[in-house]
Amino acid sequence: MKVLIVEDERSLALEMEAFLQKAFYLCDLAFTARQGQKMMEENQYDFILLDLGLPDKDGLHVLQEAKKCCPGASYIILTARGDLEDRIKGLDLGADDYLPKPFSLLELQSRMHAISRRKSGLKDSLVALGDFTVDLSKRAILFEGQEIGLSRKEFDLLNYMLLHKNRPLTRSQLSEHIWGNFSDDDYDSNFIDVHIKNIRKKLTAYAPAEWLQTIRGIGYKIKI
Amino acid sequence: MKLFTKLTLFITLSKMAIVVLFVLLLPLLVNRVASEYTNYNLREQKKKVLKAINSNGIDYYLQGEDSYGSYTMLKEEYISLEPDSTGAVRDTIETSRRLVEGDTLNYRILRHSFAYKNKHYTLEVGKTTSTISQYNRPLQRVALYVLIVLIILTILVDLIYTRLVLRPLGTIIRTRLINTRFPFKEHAPPVKTSTSDFQYLDQSLLALMGKIKEAFDKEREFTSNASHELMTPISILQNKIENLMVDSEMDEELQQKLTGMMKTLNRLKKIVHSLLLISRIENDQFARTDTVYIKALINDVMEELEHRATSRDLQVTIAIPDDVVIDNMNHDLLFQLFYNLINNAIRYNKEGGTITITARRVGAFWTVAIEDTGVGIPPEEIDTIFNRFKKANRIEGEGYGLGLSIVKSIAQYHNIRIDVQSTAGKGTVFSVVFP
Repeated sequence: MKVLIVEDERSLALEMEAFLQKAFYLCDLAFTARQGQKMMEENQYDFILLDLGLPDKDGLHVLQEAKKCCPGASYIILTARGDLEDRIKGLDLGADDYLPKPFSLLELQSRMHAISRRKSGLKDSLVALGDFTVDLSKRAILFEGQEIGLSRKEFDLLNYMLLHKNRPLTRSQLSEHIWGNFSDDDYDSNFIDVHIKNIRKKLTAYAPAEWLQTIRGIGYKIKI
Repeated sequence: MKLFTKLTLFITLSKMAIVVLFVLLLPLLVNRVASEYTNYNLREQKKKVLKAINSNGIDYYLQGEDSYGSYTMLKEEYISLEPDSTGAVRDTIETSRRLVEGDTLNYRILRHSFAYKNKHYTLEVGKTTSTISQYNRPLQRVALYVLIVLIILTILVDLIYTRLVLRPLGTIIRTRLINTRFPFKEHAPPVKTSTSDFQYLDQSLLALMGKIKEAFDKEREFTSNASHELMTPISILQNKIENLMVDSEMDEELQQKLTGMMKTLNRLKKIVHSLLLISRIENDQFARTDTVYIKALINDVMEELEHRATSRDLQVTIAIPDDVVIDNMNHDLLFQLFYNLINNAIRYNKEGGTITITARRVGAFWTVAIEDTGVGIPPEEIDTIFNRFKKANRIEGEGYGLGLSIVKSIAQYHNIRIDVQSTAGKGTVFSVVFP
């Protein structure tokens, strides 16, 4: 998967690149709109991550032109402005998703993942997880074809960890994904523990779930 | 009391006082004028008589007799001429009784003694007092009527003029002081008046309002810019920490430190998010066009917060009728408002306490009350709880001081009133009064 990151803040662009490279994305960086547009003409990208606050051109305008030259790419808008209007305009112009800064790289990856899944149809909607199977399109976890009843939040949690499998996730990262801006470390990190305990209890009733690991002092990870 | 009322009262009362004074003085004045005029008349008549005697000779009148007397038919006036043996010089005017043709009448009498051919005579010219005062009454009445009509006319003219002159003041008070709500939106045109005092007042008020607006705008702009500017560095920091965590997966100690850093960063992020939200509310960036079903809204809020309430073993009771529907609101902001209030009710409650959410109607207005059994707010702190970064210092390290500021901003934005009743140690009731 080829990704173009158009972001004038160099260190932010570099962090995104470093993170995505580990997830086996190939990244190109552009620090101005002009640079970005040149790269779009020369290369084919699967993803274009576009900052709206570029110094040389209005980001929405860049998006409009980019949609014409590379209609095959998926676009995610990044902005520090966070205005609802920008978001609506961006999505109207054909952006696939929108991430307000500051965002978590995990969240970025999960959005990118969701977009590719959406675009590629439902081919890979079944994922094996130990003795279990996760049906991403039905949002359910199955054991030998039988659905195990998880609550909405419990499934969200499991799904997020599965996406970032083999990587320790902190309680705050998990709670931010579940409760968004409303998350509150003082409270919700404890509740992540409660959720994980429930998930374990429900799963181990069918089969052992050793792949769901607790990382002491940090959080949890799915190891497969 | 309003200035116009005061002036009206003063004008009316002062004119009434003048009327009363006039009514009291009028008889005295009229009597005095009448008697002065009578005296003058009597003297003129005396002069005429003396002139006639001088030209015709006294015998022409005495006709050999000792004395002369003449009176008009109704005995209103008389003239008498008598020889005076005493020879005393007299020239007086007095009121006394005289017997004329069998009638005793009160006369104003002028007595004048004079000598004629070595003989002394006394001349008396008299006028009945009843004729003197006969015009007094009608005169007084007419004068009074005329006065009353004139006074009423002047009062009317005064009031009309006062009203006209004071009208700009009323406009200033109405448009600048009563009907303005902070923040002032557009620049109002100056009030039309030719009174320089009012012009000065109006200009000063406009200038003052302009200054307040300017200061407020600056603060608003600063909050907005500062929070936007902070977003990018926070973003970089967060992503750097995230990458570090992946890189240092094997180093458990480093991982824990990074987790701690992430927590602090989250706190910073939350503060900036809250400031940004407040500045966006203050910049009118939310549409107020939603119709909100309060019961459903509270249920949504509770769904988000239930786990927190459960973890503290709190009993939450919601008693809201289905028909609590509020128009012209922003759904998301209202959600945030109730979220923050209920979250506080959970946060500051005691373990195993209760939260009661009720709605009642007062007149045409709905009030939603959120009652907790928590630590309460001391009376001296109630006024400041809505201030930014003011946090209750009872519970160490809790709260970021912006939750209630957001509530306040959202409430102001929707014309909602928030009442707080609290008993320290027993609990707090936040009442949300919808417009």
